[in-house]
Amino acid sequence: MVLAELGRKITTALRSLNNATVINEEVLNAMLKEICSALLEADVNVRLVKKLRENVRGAIDFDEMAAGVNKRRMIQTTVFQELVKLVDPGVKAYQPVKAKPNVIMFVGLQGSGKTTTCTKLAYHYMKKGWKTCLVCADTFRAGAYDQLKQNATKARIPFYGSYTEIDPVIIAQDGVEMFRKENFEIIIVDTSGRHKQEDSLFEEMLQVSNAVDPDNIIFVMDATIGQACESQARAFKEKVDVGSVIITKLDGHAKGGGALSAVAATQSPVIFIGTGEHIDDLEPFKTKPFISKLLGMGDIEGLVEK
Amino acid sequence: LFKGLVGGKTLTLDDMAPSLEKLKDHLIGKNVASDVAGKICDSVGAKLNGKVLGTFQTVSSTVKAALEESLLTLLRPRRQVDVLREALEAKRQGRPFIVTFCGVNGVGKSTNLAKICFWLIENDMRVLIAACDTFRAGAVEQLRTHVRHLNALHPPKNGKAFVELYEKGYGKDAAGVAAEAISFAKDSRQDIVLVDTAGRMQDNAPLMRSLAKLIRVNNPDLVLFVGEALVGNEAVDQLVKFNTNLADFSDESNPHLIDGIVLTKFDTIDDKVGAAVSMAYITGQPIVFVGTGQTYTDLRSLDSEAVVSALMN
Ligand SMILES: Nc1nc2c(ncn2[C@@H]2O[C@H](COP(=O)(O)OP(=O)(O)OP(=O)(O)O)[C@@H](O)[C@H]2O)c(=O)[nH]1
Ligand SMILES: Nc1nc2c(ncn2[C@@H]2O[C@H](COP(=O)(O)OP(=O)(O)OP(=O)(O)O)[C@@H](O)[C@H]2O)c(=O)[nH]1
Ligand SMILES: [Mg+2]
Ligand SMILES: [Mg+2]
Repeated sequence: MVLAELGRKITTALRSLNNATVINEEVLNAMLKEICSALLEADVNVRLVKKLRENVRGAIDFDEMAAGVNKRRMIQTTVFQELVKLVDPGVKAYQPVKAKPNVIMFVGLQGSGKTTTCTKLAYHYMKKGWKTCLVCADTFRAGAYDQLKQNATKARIPFYGSYTEIDPVIIAQDGVEMFRKENFEIIIVDTSGRHKQEDSLFEEMLQVSNAVDPDNIIFVMDATIGQACESQARAFKEKVDVGSVIITKLDGHAKGGGALSAVAATQSPVIFIGTGEHIDDLEPFKTKPFISKLLGMGDIEGLVEK
Repeated sequence: LFKGLVGGKTLTLDDMAPSLEKLKDHLIGKNVASDVAGKICDSVGAKLNGKVLGTFQTVSSTVKAALEESLLTLLRPRRQVDVLREALEAKRQGRPFIVTFCGVNGVGKSTNLAKICFWLIENDMRVLIAACDTFRAGAVEQLRTHVRHLNALHPPKNGKAFVELYEKGYGKDAAGVAAEAISFAKDSRQDIVLVDTAGRMQDNAPLMRSLAKLIRVNNPDLVLFVGEALVGNEAVDQLVKFNTNLADFSDESNPHLIDGIVLTKFDTIDDKVGAAVSMAYITGQPIVFVGTGQTYTDLRSLDSEAVVSALMN
């Protein structure tokens, strides 16, 4: 994602510090400009980029800096820490607990990949020996239940849904209750796509959440999204207790920087990324290794601990 | 009193640089792709370079007005795509009018195809929907559901349903299904065939090749690219690569490229309307339809003035 190319641009920008004979305001600004435009090209939210720039500028005061301070190192560390903030909300993701029902509800914008990712996640846990199932609480999208049913059947994952019930709250409640009784460990609830501009859809999401009392709510975001992500993600978080993020469609050219703003907006970590349409195209995502890979420099990673 | 007002001055690129830089960032904030925002601002600079400022004009207001003008020109279609008129023309020639929908995954191809179908049958057209997404789970049932709803809204006239579905289930070659659907539409004298295709990533060569084949074999009248208003910088890469793939895999001297754009999910982006600019800039093709919601009536044509004013404020 955001990685390879962006990482390369950022390291090049940081290295420009090494080539400069004196490190001054001008050099810093030039470097920041390069980094910021790389971030914007990757769709990182403009406000986050601006904040990053201001934070770095604020932390580096050339007049105050004591002689002998390694300016290069200080700038690199500050930039790095700011980049880390983009991907690391500093909270741990929910970990399902064995031998008890873990209800996981999926939410997100229309077409972001919820239904596909539900089955991928169920399959992921099933392969690891968890007792896993799916509930289709999308009664709005044409063919939604068929989609989930076909995916689940192919993967041999038990599922629940209805062709006749039109209230997603009832389906979610009944399905989760049934699977709880049957001692399923991972109960995944798929919901309709929705957006903040439509109150009734957000209200419905809250009702589904209240009905199933999820242990974790996963916000699914598409890697191609641009500047609209942040306000949508924030609105989802304000309505329900989003705890994790999954970024989908990272098998293409998209860098996923727009989707990353969902991390800051929901204060939730990315836990998986989707890398294709097939059931096993799901990769666990670990923030720390991601970050060290981000700049492709082992020695930079050491900087973050300081 | 007249601070900041410069009169009778010749504009240089240096004078304009700060204003242009600010406007570029502003456009990026509105979700115009960085590259496109940069190029548009550069061209505004080039256009104004050497011009003489009016007495009461500031550099920044002059630059802003010129940008507004450029954006309007960009978004106002040079070429009108009039689906109804073209479909009637095809009908006079005794053949169905064929529209293919393509785009990346989940952008709203099938849903907006159904909305366009609704609009067509409101205009008394008989439509065949060809289910050529033979890959994604539920894709066929999704269309079948729409056909059922649409026919319920418009009960059959003279015993003939307004819309029918042509489907061959999953796993089949999409180009072949489309071909069969088109010949079925000819035989049963339907006016329009709407061809739904599977979503695909622009970098996925096998899938892009199969789309190019579908278009080459079936020679549709109209190839619509469906893109969502939510998309950021990827808009550029999607459109460039759909077009180059259609060209490269077509082995024809005059390949059929994207004719127009369906811009979806316009209701989800508030004033961040920049994707419209990116898409129009890259293709030079008109935005034929705008999707503004999830029901059949949520279909509009592009209001260029409104888009520009959302961009500028
Ligand atoms: N290439 C690629 N396609 C994906 C990925 N995840 C999902 N998709 C595709 O994206 C499209 C939309 O996925 P869905 O799972 O239907 O999305 P959704 O969020 O459930 O959609 P709604 O229920 O309508 O809101 C489908 O074509 C999926 O196959 C991914 O990681 N990579
Ligand atoms: N808010 C909003 N949602 C839309 C609009 N158009 C489509 N959608 C929703 O977007 C989701 C995906 O739509 P589809 O029509 O299945 O998308 P697709 O491009 O056919 O998806 P694939 O075939 O899986 O690639 C559905 O939930 C639609 O209801 C729109 O204009 N506004
Ligand atoms: Mg779904
Ligand atoms: Mg579709």
